[in-house]
Amino acid sequence: MSEELISKKDLLELSGISYGQLYRWKRKDLIPEEWFVRKSTFTGQETFFPKEKVLERIEKIQTMKENLSLDELADMFSPNITSLNYNKDELLKRNIVSTAVVDFYLEQEKGSLQFNFTRMLEVFVLEKLLQSGEINLEEGKMVLQVLKDHAELIKQKSCELVITRKLGMSSCLLLINAETYHFERGTKVVAALSLMTCMEEIKAKLL
Amino acid sequence: MDTNSRGDLVINGFGASNGGQFRLVTLNGRGTVNSDLECMEFDCNGSGVIKGNMISERAKVNGHARFKENLESQRLTIDGSVSIEKNLLVEKLKVSGRGSVGGRVKCEEIIIHGSLTVGEDCEAEFFTAESQFTIGGLLNADHIDIKMFGECKAKEIGGQTISVKAKGSSFVGNLLKPFFKPQLEAELIEGDKIELQNTIAKIVRGNQVSIGPNCQIGLVEYTEEFSMDKKAIVSENRKV
Repeated sequence: MSEELISKKDLLELSGISYGQLYRWKRKDLIPEEWFVRKSTFTGQETFFPKEKVLERIEKIQTMKENLSLDELADMFSPNITSLNYNKDELLKRNIVSTAVVDFYLEQEKGSLQFNFTRMLEVFVLEKLLQSGEINLEEGKMVLQVLKDHAELIKQKSCELVITRKLGMSSCLLLINAETYHFERGTKVVAALSLMTCMEEIKAKLL
Repeated sequence: MDTNSRGDLVINGFGASNGGQFRLVTLNGRGTVNSDLECMEFDCNGSGVIKGNMISERAKVNGHARFKENLESQRLTIDGSVSIEKNLLVEKLKVSGRGSVGGRVKCEEIIIHGSLTVGEDCEAEFFTAESQFTIGGLLNADHIDIKMFGECKAKEIGGQTISVKAKGSSFVGNLLKPFFKPQLEAELIEGDKIELQNTIAKIVRGNQVSIGPNCQIGLVEYTEEFSMDKKAIVSENRKV
């Protein structure tokens, strides 16, 4: 790992937070345990953090903590999907999906009107892609099939969804923990979507 | 959770159970539960052994209880002695006797009047100790208030306000002083507001730091205020 590290002292100075806040966030698991990297220095042991990640996280916490409690924030950052259950009307009301897309989704998979988080994510991804006009309904079916087939993986890992088109043929890939990807020249990447970000967006809309 | 149709588990004298879901669990005498246990109220007056995980709403131990796995409860009151081999997750923990936890402790509020030993990290919003404790990892709490009645140890301490005081000296206390020195040992103490007495630490970092009598501190780093008692030894102090 060649990430740039930042010491705890510098972090507090740079972000303007106090020890109390840092420890409180650690307690609430807003800052994951793995980010606390212990290293020995000439003054003894010191704690370091991956600089980019931790600064981004702190900024997020600071902007969101005004309207959310710390516990709600903790739910939001936790990777394990909370036991949320909403019905179709609530999703519409919270602007997660539009009627057209949710009807298309339900028509395809013939499930119930109660949505758990996995299904919410699927319908949200469809909504994003279809509404932006990046994909058509046929491709939507393909995306949905990929998401359905790999639902278990999506829950645990940070995944990215990529849709490509070449000579009018479209195809859909699910990348797991991928750093970068390259295609041959004639291929056009139609859309790339991080599912992690989608999950956070959904949670932000739900809370 | 349907709790009305549940039965009670009462063991008086010698007895064993295979566990399960109950409303009320009372172990008087010597009771053994061989697997996971889920109950509303747990009461142990003799010597109890739980070999699986336990989830309860209120747990009270007056005798001796051993938990071989994790314990999760809203309240846990220990008047006797309790040992938990793995993790403890409680909203309100009160120890008047002796508690020892092999893994991590996560609480809202911890009040200790007896003695507490934790193998790994110990987290709480409020940590109040008028006692003796040993924490193998990080003691992380918003408000840490320690009055020492013996030897206290923690690898690291972090929080918002940290106050460590030696107890008021009594006659008996003075007699026993050579054996039970009220003293806190830690490698690192970090907080916004720190007040210490009788503490040995390598590094203390904070905004407002006040070092009281009988402290031995390697390095103090502070941002706002620093004060130090005449009877304290601080090798180095720096304003950052």
